[in-house]
Amino acid sequence: MNCVNQMAPEATAAPEVSGVRLPMGLLGFEQIKEYLLIANPDEDPFRWLRVKEDSRLAFVVIEPFLVVPEYQPDIPQADVEFLGLTGPQDALLYNIVTLRGVSQPTINLKGPIVFNRHTLVGKQVILANAGEYSVQHPLQVMEAGTVTASPACIQPAA
Amino acid sequence: MLILSRKSGESIVIDGRIIVKIVRVEGEVVKVGIEAPANLPVHRQEVYEEIQRSNQQALTQPKAPLPRLPRVKLPPAPGKAPTGLRTLSGQNSSLRT
Repeated sequence: MNCVNQMAPEATAAPEVSGVRLPMGLLGFEQIKEYLLIANPDEDPFRWLRVKEDSRLAFVVIEPFLVVPEYQPDIPQADVEFLGLTGPQDALLYNIVTLRGVSQPTINLKGPIVFNRHTLVGKQVILANAGEYSVQHPLQVMEAGTVTASPACIQPAA
Repeated sequence: MLILSRKSGESIVIDGRIIVKIVRVEGEVVKVGIEAPANLPVHRQEVYEEIQRSNQQALTQPKAPLPRLPRVKLPPAPGKAPTGLRTLSGQNSSLRT
């Protein structure tokens, strides 16, 4: 939406873009292995996981601990080894958000994408404790009226 | 589909590197142990399919408008580590039941 830029002229800071690799792809998208992780400052804390070879395809992701502080992902040992994680400090988690027209977004807590923050290689992991979590955990949004089609057009720039 | 009869404690070997063992049969529940190389993903089919469907629904276009979140209560601690990785120091067995 162009109006995002018109209404929020202060949010013109360049997006941060990192190339990331998912050697196993995402479940259902196993053939796509190269992505760009894009952080637009005005969309924080959301990030875009965009297919590198196709700029029309992307997932919205978010660090789960920002929205579900009690989240306790138990990452299977095989995945820890696959990613070369030597401890929790090596891991960077992003969980996929399903927008559902932005008024009722949900976050997938069963299958986080775990990255090794040093190598930027990641994998969508099925948690050992996946049974404790939902693939459609509701994400709390500000209020119905502010999350319709183009929030930046409705809300004055802060 | 190849159908084999197995008793509790008996196994099947696939490709010389994957062992599927019937650990226990309790009424309608069969406990299966799978010994496979660590790089070979093994999942319960319904969880796998649930995440697959969720990913397909989540696929969007990079210009999609994003929701606004309430102000985060915690300060976004830089480099906050996951509290999980509980298996990190766990035993090294690849036998999953």
